Amino acid sequence: MMKKQIMKEKILVVDDEEGIRLLYKEELEEEGLDVHIAASGEEALKKLEKDKYSLIVLDIKMPGIDGIEVLRRIKEKWKSLPVILCTAYHHYKQDFGTWASDAYVVKSSDLKELKDTIKGILGSR
Amino acid sequence: MGYEILEKVIELTDSSEALEKRFDSLAKSISQSLSFDQCAIYLFDEERKIFSLSAADGDRNDLVHTYHDGEGLPWSAIKKNRPIIANISDVNDGRWRGIKDNGLLGFATAAVYPIKDDTGNYGMLYLKSRKKKIVPLRKRKLLSVISLQIGMAIKTNECILNLTSVNTKMRDMQARLIHAEKLLALGEMAATLAHEIKNPLMSIGGFAKRLSQQFTKDAPERMYADMIVKESKRVEKLLHGILNFSTNKGFDLKDENISSLIDDTLALFEDEFKRINIKIVKELKGNITAVKADAEQLRLVFTNLFTNAMQAMENGGILTVKTDCVEKWITAEVTDTGGGIEPSIIGNIFNPFFTTKAEGTGLGLAIAHTIVANHKGMIEVMNDIGKGVTFLVKLPALVQ
Ligand SMILES: Nc1ncnc2c1ncn2[C@@H]1O[C@H](COP(=O)(O)OP(=O)(O)OP(=O)(O)O)[C@@H](O)[C@H]1O
Ligand SMILES: [Mg+2]
Ligand SMILES: [Mg+2]
Repeated sequence: MMKKQIMKEKILVVDDEEGIRLLYKEELEEEGLDVHIAASGEEALKKLEKDKYSLIVLDIKMPGIDGIEVLRRIKEKWKSLPVILCTAYHHYKQDFGTWASDAYVVKSSDLKELKDTIKGILGSR
Repeated sequence: MGYEILEKVIELTDSSEALEKRFDSLAKSISQSLSFDQCAIYLFDEERKIFSLSAADGDRNDLVHTYHDGEGLPWSAIKKNRPIIANISDVNDGRWRGIKDNGLLGFATAAVYPIKDDTGNYGMLYLKSRKKKIVPLRKRKLLSVISLQIGMAIKTNECILNLTSVNTKMRDMQARLIHAEKLLALGEMAATLAHEIKNPLMSIGGFAKRLSQQFTKDAPERMYADMIVKESKRVEKLLHGILNFSTNKGFDLKDENISSLIDDTLALFEDEFKRINIKIVKELKGNITAVKADAEQLRLVFTNLFTNAMQAMENGGILTVKTDCVEKWITAEVTDTGGGIEPSIIGNIFNPFFTTKAEGTGLGLAIAHTIVANHKGMIEVMNDIGKGVTFLVKLPALVQ
């Protein structure tokens, strides 16, 4: 019982840009999260097979399997795993945001919105 | 004798000079070749029912400049529907057969020929001679032909004017189309570019912020890093604006009530308005026909208009917001008291990146314009120099 409370929430950040992966990792670790990273859709799916995560932060625009496809596969296999979609594009919101992902965040150097969204989702479980 | 005048009349329809100018030289030729002392051409104003002087040869002081409804020889010629040849004595009291016409004073013979065709009256040809003279049949026939020709010239001229105005309208429309196309091309290009810039920019801004936190509050390094944060935020704002151009993606149309949409948007500004002493006057029609709209985008239109108004009224003022339903349009008016827009720049305000503000992106109105156009609406600006501006947004009302 005690042990579970100290255990950090483990999340996976998927983004093809190195800078953004590092930024997310450092900022989110400061929020007390156990942050793992994947540089592509393929890598993310591999990691998901091996490990259990509390939440995924997923970039949409990536070479190879893009974020939308990753989202589709995640929802097939791990229905209850929360996914936050991130993109520079505001307009995906209407296209994809509503039907499968749990939240949608427009990328910004100000990570407040992302952090609040993560807290909201993890806190509500 | 006299027939060279016909050439002159025919030339009337065949010249690019302004009609009034051509009339002046024509009047001169007519009086000369038909040996009258004075020749005047009057034009008929259908709406005001008056004949007004257009051209004359001879002393203009002897001329009546306007014949109002029913007055003088011109109107009796109209009533009789034929030319009038009047012989009076040269010492008359401005009267012929009981018809008062001050133009007759000092003349002994007058000839009045209506300029008309079967569709209506165009004007009047008015000739006078100081000495009594006979106007032979040959000259009368000539005068009939001349007035007919003048009528044709006027009609042709009207056609040309109409054509020119249609042409101007078409050119205007074309310019707007090109503008819209430019915006679209810019939007597409900018969206791609913005997307590519956003990711690295996010790293720059994000890490600069982390860097800043490593230094104490008064360290110069902290100030440098904060500057990077601030500037990259500014570029982010710009990119956000640019991305709003590719609006055809995810256009989410629903029936919206414009009054409540505006009310909601206005609510977000209330505190800020209060702080800088801006009074809000709302005249929002509650029971208003809906529009098909993407609420989020339409809110952006009004957000941009309110922001501009606020920036124009930094020292307080009044913001008036009205909605109405006019024929098939739902209209929304945003009026400020911020002094208006310099006339020399008003043609540019809807152009992307046009700004007069140090921190502006110049995208506010360009975005508003694009969004409203995407809704098949219009946005217009009414400028009251020294007072303020009104932006009028018109959207098609839903037919019920
Ligand atoms: N209500 C207004 N009163 C006076 N001038 C205005 C008003 N609205 C717009 N303008 C003029 O039109 C220009 C363009 O406006 P626009 O909203 O497109 O860009 P901006 O306000 O300068 O920048 P941004 O919207 O990105 O902050 C402004 O810089 C200003 O000169
Ligand atoms: Mg990416
Ligand atoms: Mg603006």
